[in-house]
Amino acid sequence: MSGAELNIPALWPFVVYSGVVIFMAIGMLGTSYILGERHRGGAMGQPYECGIVPTGSARLRHSAKFYLIAVFFVIFDLEAVFVFAWAVAVRESGWAGYAEMLIFIGILLSALVYLWRIGALEWGSRHTPRRGAEDSL
Amino acid sequence: MVRGDFFILLPLIITGGAAVAVMLLISFRRSHLATATVTLVALGAAVISVICVAAAAPRQASALLILDSYALFYMGLIFAAGCAVTMIAYDYFERQTDHREEFYLLLLLATLGSAVLVSSNHFASLFLGLEILSVSLYALIAFHRERLPSVEAGVRYLILAAASSAFLLFGMALIYLERGDMTFFRSTQIASGVPAWSPLLLAGTALLIVGIGFKLALVPFHMWTPDIYEGAPPPATAFIASVSKGAAFVLLLRYVTLFGLHSGSVQSAAIAAIAVASMFFGNLLALREEKVRRVLAYSSIAHMGYLLVAILAAGPLAAVAAGYYLVAYFTSIIGSFGIISVREGREGGGDAVSDYRGYAWRHPWLGGAFTAMLLSLAGIPITAGFVGKFYLLAAGLESSLRLLVVVLVASSAIGLFYYLRIIITLYGPPEAERQGAAITPAVSLAGGVALTALTFLLIWFGAYPAPLLRLIQAMVGG
Repeated sequence: MSGAELNIPALWPFVVYSGVVIFMAIGMLGTSYILGERHRGGAMGQPYECGIVPTGSARLRHSAKFYLIAVFFVIFDLEAVFVFAWAVAVRESGWAGYAEMLIFIGILLSALVYLWRIGALEWGSRHTPRRGAEDSL
Repeated sequence: MVRGDFFILLPLIITGGAAVAVMLLISFRRSHLATATVTLVALGAAVISVICVAAAAPRQASALLILDSYALFYMGLIFAAGCAVTMIAYDYFERQTDHREEFYLLLLLATLGSAVLVSSNHFASLFLGLEILSVSLYALIAFHRERLPSVEAGVRYLILAAASSAFLLFGMALIYLERGDMTFFRSTQIASGVPAWSPLLLAGTALLIVGIGFKLALVPFHMWTPDIYEGAPPPATAFIASVSKGAAFVLLLRYVTLFGLHSGSVQSAAIAAIAVASMFFGNLLALREEKVRRVLAYSSIAHMGYLLVAILAAGPLAAVAAGYYLVAYFTSIIGSFGIISVREGREGGGDAVSDYRGYAWRHPWLGGAFTAMLLSLAGIPITAGFVGKFYLLAAGLESSLRLLVVVLVASSAIGLFYYLRIIITLYGPPEAERQGAAITPAVSLAGGVALTALTFLLIWFGAYPAPLLRLIQAMVGG
């Protein structure tokens, strides 16, 4: 397939579609800008919090545990994906495939050992950065 | 996979295995000395293994990697640079306590990524190598996680590198769509009857250049460089400035050589424009900077611009010139950041040029070495930088790239100013309050050995270039 005659007839609905999407977005934003009401003053510029005046800053410190769990999920769930892919073709890939899978799982296991030894798996307060951060949650 | 493939991949296997070994070592015994020693031994073994397997080259190991003498030469350079950075890092982290062992683990991984990059022959291995390198670099840059500038630099690099990876992937996809092949060789060869450059291929190549240009910090894509050089720990900066950029450049040179860049084509005009912009803006922006690391950041942008001249010259001399220039640049930039790192690790203090006032009087050897490094970056005779620049000029003139050669000379002259400004400050009268201060030992054994070796190599390559030149001609020019 050469680019010069790259199915030009098949492309025009896409071009029209893109044009319509852009036109609609501009149209909606534009008309509401022209026709819409404008309020100033009062509590207009403040974030809406169920009718009460907001208190405190929005910049809380959250615990980084969520992130840790997400990373563990990525590491150990993706491992399963690769193992499944290998399991389908286990006979075809033979001993070489088996050795490769051993190396792969071995590296992941040593990563797990590392995480365990540095205390990343502990749920306690050993790795929380600050006491105050948890109180504010 | 056959036995020969394992043998030729030995340098990569050693580095990868060492990363796992270091990780296990850290988890059972946290010892800075032991970790650094294992890393150094592994990288040294990798250098030796490169020499051992050189006889078996060239060999295509699986579809992804090609281990020819070109790849092996730069692999050796990368591993040697890794050794130097390890020793400098040992000196830097000696005075610090928190999580310093992980630095070596990340350093090994980043070195592995660079080595994959220089031997890649397929878009898949290109991307794998680039990601191993980049992901390790995110953590290396943000290594001082309690210091705000370091974390900020890490996040900045993360976002920009991810964006540039997206460009690169899209470029690969377009080239694959056009040519139906992901190997470098077949995706660059043109079948008869097909137009050489279709719009898709052109767009794909442009996106590839954007992605690689980001890694090399060439001018329209250079915004990240000064902040990251300033925020990252100095040993990590030494690594980014040398190995990370060098690997990306080697890859670009391999790809462009396969493509056959014709003078007068759109691609060569685009690369020439980027080169001219990098040389000029790199050197001009460095004039305005007050911090040494930011000055060196802009200077490294200019150096990558000089190297693009070799890509455009595209002859046998150009490959040799690029090789020599890269060796010279690696030596001088790692040495410069090595001295910055020694100074910051021991004395602390700011990074402004004025903070270096009288440094050479307090530490004559380190000051002298820093002077040599800066003169080499400026391209003054009897240093490696001069010989490198000389060959770049020769390669450029051979291909009659007059405009680029004139820009190279003119912008080097601008560059001389800011290098000399730092050198003059080094030898300026020391500040009054500093004079009475107790003199700390200047450098540890590891850092001292690394810096002495770098300075020695710098002057050797500058004064007697023939042996290195023969090696490069044999490995790269053939």
